Amino acid sequence: MLDVSSRSAPSQGIDVLAFVRRLDWLLVGAVAALVAYGLWAVAGITRYDVEGDGSYYVIRQAIAVGLGAVALLVALAVDPDRYRRAQRVIFGSTIVLMVLVFLLAQETRGSKRWIDIGPFQFQPSEFGKLLFVLALAGFLADRARRLDAGVVLQAVGLALIPILLVFKQPDLGTSLVYSAALAACLFVAGARWTHLLALAATAVTVIVSVVWLLPNVGVEVLEPYQKERLTGFANPDRDPGGTTYNVTQSITAVGSGGLDGRGVAGATQTRLDYLPEHATDFVFASLAEQRGFFGAALLLGLYLLVVWRGLRIITVARDAYGAIVAGGIVLAFLFQIFVNVGMTMGIAPVTGIPLPFVTVGGSSMVANLAAIGVLLSIHARGNLGRRRD
Amino acid sequence: MAKGRPSDRFLPPDPRVTEPYRFTPQLALRVGMLGAVALAVFAVLFLRLWALQVLSGDKYLNAAQENQVRTVRIEAPRGTILDRNGNVLVSNVPGTAVRIWKSDLPSEGRYAMFKRLSKVLRVPLPRLTRALEDSKDDPLSPITIKTAVHEDQVMYLTERVAEFPGVQIVGTYLRDYEHRALAAQILGYVGEISPQELAARKRDGYRGGDKLGKSGVERAFDVYLRGTPGAAQVRVDSVGRPQSEYETKEYPTYGSSVRLTIDVGLQQAAEQALAFGIRTARDHESYNANGGAIVALDPRDGAILALASNPTYKPSVYVGRADPKKLEPLVDDKVAKERNYPGINRALAGQYPPGSVFKPVTALAAISDGLLSPYQSIQCTPTAYYGEDRFQFNNWNPYTNQPMTLPTALAQSCDTYFYEVGNRYYERGEIERAYWTRMQDWARKFGFGRISGLDIGGETAGLVPTPAWRRKTYEGIDRAWNPGDLIQLAIGQKDVTVSPLQMARFYALLANGGKLVTPYLVSAVEQPGNDGSPPITKRTFPPARPEPVDVDAAGLSVIRDGLYAATHDAYGTSSGVFGSFPVPVAGKTGTAEKVVDLPGYGPGHLEDQSWWCGWGPFDVSTYGDRGPIVVCAVIENGGHGGTAAAPAALKVFERWFGVKAGIQGLVASD
Repeated sequence: MLDVSSRSAPSQGIDVLAFVRRLDWLLVGAVAALVAYGLWAVAGITRYDVEGDGSYYVIRQAIAVGLGAVALLVALAVDPDRYRRAQRVIFGSTIVLMVLVFLLAQETRGSKRWIDIGPFQFQPSEFGKLLFVLALAGFLADRARRLDAGVVLQAVGLALIPILLVFKQPDLGTSLVYSAALAACLFVAGARWTHLLALAATAVTVIVSVVWLLPNVGVEVLEPYQKERLTGFANPDRDPGGTTYNVTQSITAVGSGGLDGRGVAGATQTRLDYLPEHATDFVFASLAEQRGFFGAALLLGLYLLVVWRGLRIITVARDAYGAIVAGGIVLAFLFQIFVNVGMTMGIAPVTGIPLPFVTVGGSSMVANLAAIGVLLSIHARGNLGRRRD
Repeated sequence: MAKGRPSDRFLPPDPRVTEPYRFTPQLALRVGMLGAVALAVFAVLFLRLWALQVLSGDKYLNAAQENQVRTVRIEAPRGTILDRNGNVLVSNVPGTAVRIWKSDLPSEGRYAMFKRLSKVLRVPLPRLTRALEDSKDDPLSPITIKTAVHEDQVMYLTERVAEFPGVQIVGTYLRDYEHRALAAQILGYVGEISPQELAARKRDGYRGGDKLGKSGVERAFDVYLRGTPGAAQVRVDSVGRPQSEYETKEYPTYGSSVRLTIDVGLQQAAEQALAFGIRTARDHESYNANGGAIVALDPRDGAILALASNPTYKPSVYVGRADPKKLEPLVDDKVAKERNYPGINRALAGQYPPGSVFKPVTALAAISDGLLSPYQSIQCTPTAYYGEDRFQFNNWNPYTNQPMTLPTALAQSCDTYFYEVGNRYYERGEIERAYWTRMQDWARKFGFGRISGLDIGGETAGLVPTPAWRRKTYEGIDRAWNPGDLIQLAIGQKDVTVSPLQMARFYALLANGGKLVTPYLVSAVEQPGNDGSPPITKRTFPPARPEPVDVDAAGLSVIRDGLYAATHDAYGTSSGVFGSFPVPVAGKTGTAEKVVDLPGYGPGHLEDQSWWCGWGPFDVSTYGDRGPIVVCAVIENGGHGGTAAAPAALKVFERWFGVKAGIQGLVASD
């Protein structure tokens, strides 16, 4: 049983081969397909965005994919348990990053989300998603055997620090992703149903207060635009020229794609800029317009594959920590997909959440690939022999 | 999962030993639930995608295609306005306009863009924002913020289209006034349709951003002048940048020309005559003379040959690079008052006490009512006393004291003669109340106290005072109808007010033998002929048939003689002006006291309004190739009728008949 330890170094060469065999190749394939498909889609979507340089965005995106691949490999090489042991450092640096955003970031359209590093813009809250899950999972895994109300409350309290920091940027969407990840971590860690229900009830109360009760007594927590967006999806026809303009144009773009799409040149909603932010938040609508139902459904299918493989990794995790991390990552991922895609089709509120692997944006791409690296790492070090316990 | 202790059948658990992690059934259940949630999420997304793209794909495809097509109106060139002989009064010149499409304005940085735009176009920012504010209920129509844009400004904007989203430069037509200020108040001006006007005219095919005649002929005949706008389509991107050439779907139709009854030459003469009359008045110590009006019309059918109003303005101040300073007299109440309201067409809307020019009304009424016999002699005294308290009424001429028949009384404009007539109406009315309003009834029949229905509108009705009016208007003791009311009315003073047009209409009745004409300014609407071919008349506006008024024919004839005597007898009030004129002209002077509000004078300050009304040739025949003409002139604060208004009116006759009067004689006038 000596060679059970993952830290045994002697026969590296053979271990690498065994490690490669232990990879979840289906997940690798699905992510590779997603990234490739995303690049192809972005190439079409941004063809007319920079005059004279139709491949401006896709080249930048490809560079991000390169960086992301490196991050994935690094994450793959690291034993997840190291994150658990370094949870305090990770948590601390997450907070530091968030605070740095406030100190260094330039205001873009009313919010501070990006830090400029040379020619690149770095969006800490994207990396924060992964770091947040890694740290929180560590806190919960260490206390998984006595997960009483006190621990749950402590976990929620800790999680609220980065959640509120992101909310104040203001980046409502990302703070909701963090909250979804928190819920997933508590759920997988085994928090009691009563505690979970109590938390859910609290969350509902908070949302109702923020959107409805507090404004009625004169306290505005959300910016008016945020509230409009959150509630506007319920009736997009109310003000098609104003607040819900984006959603109206987005639905039109999606619908106009039809079964097989209008092609890159014919997709006027994207090409003539009727669809705002079509390379970022509304990238799915653009894809649906250009590639039609087949193209959009293919993307959703690939996402489903990734989610399925991710959920499966919870079951093969070597320890509670791995399971909780996997749960947090997959749920955050699922939440982003639903809110982003749902938003473009008018069934979810408008929040600035990127679509994983497709939205143009380096931070998001690198962070997501790193997260996949962590998932693969958990899988490779998991109990593959004893599947379905 | 970690709830219960693992089975410890053999040994008590050792706290130093960590139990190995196990994938428990509880966790499996939870993962299963997460899987179910994931499946549900994807099911929802797939279904929605299917619904949008496959089930309603065509609907959204249409919406997307319509998104980028914008239909724009192609402005139709506005019709020209011609005088009676086809001389062009108003036409168009091509120009450039800058418009804003509100739906294309950026949601952020609007203010900064407006600031730049206001600088580039030299349009004050408040005016720009107000224009936008004013039409906030109509987001789909463009707002023209400036016309007659300079070439440099056009270049600047076209080079920076991307920096000015929602701003469009279009070709347009600008009104061009060939004779500058001539006939300004008749022609009127054109401006962009206001939201209120639009609301009232939407059904007639008007849209936001259209041009609309705002006054005068331009307003009254806008339907004919405006033509039919065309339509063009252009593909635009979301910031309104055209992505294709404009494709004309419907060509615009030229507006029709409107032909007026005005004679350009006579109109010029009338306007010059007014200025001359004002100058003359000032030369005769009426230093406050500052305005007036002249009406010249054909007594046979009411066709208006000239309609002058002074002070005036250049309608071009409304076109293009509108200079707010030059517009002030027209739009700013305070400045307008200082300049004596150049925007008002005094010939139609001016309200003056008529004074002695009203005397023929009194005479004609009294003869027709049997209260006056034309050849009855009445003593023309310097003063007369009427009423229970023997109130004193003065004659304008304190040196006369002789019996007069009607022609002499008219020729010399004897006030006391007409006081007597007025008093007869009062005394008769004390027995039979109807007589208190008989004279007024006749005045109404002659067109006073009501509008004539002039085709370009803008008339005011004036006032013919009656006991009922007095009761309604005043309180207490002032409500009583006194002898003075009718005695003063008999010489056209006190409460009665008339417009020059009404007076001209009445003198036309005297000239044509008792028929009331309806004045008109527009004779036809025409489609301009191509390449010199004659215009095609699309619609004519024949004059309304003159209405016979049942006046005493013999009495009318005596009155006409009296008015001829007034211009030709030795003691006629305007014989000195018209006596030597080759064309036989008959007419009456008037000097009406009016309370005016002039700077430097206290309230209740009285000024004489100088009147002259008359016609020639006397028998309403033609003279040379020229038909008969009625001329009515008023010089505000111009003093005596014979000194200012009569010489001004003479100028109009001279121009019309093409002959000059001889040496002017001495004027003795009221």
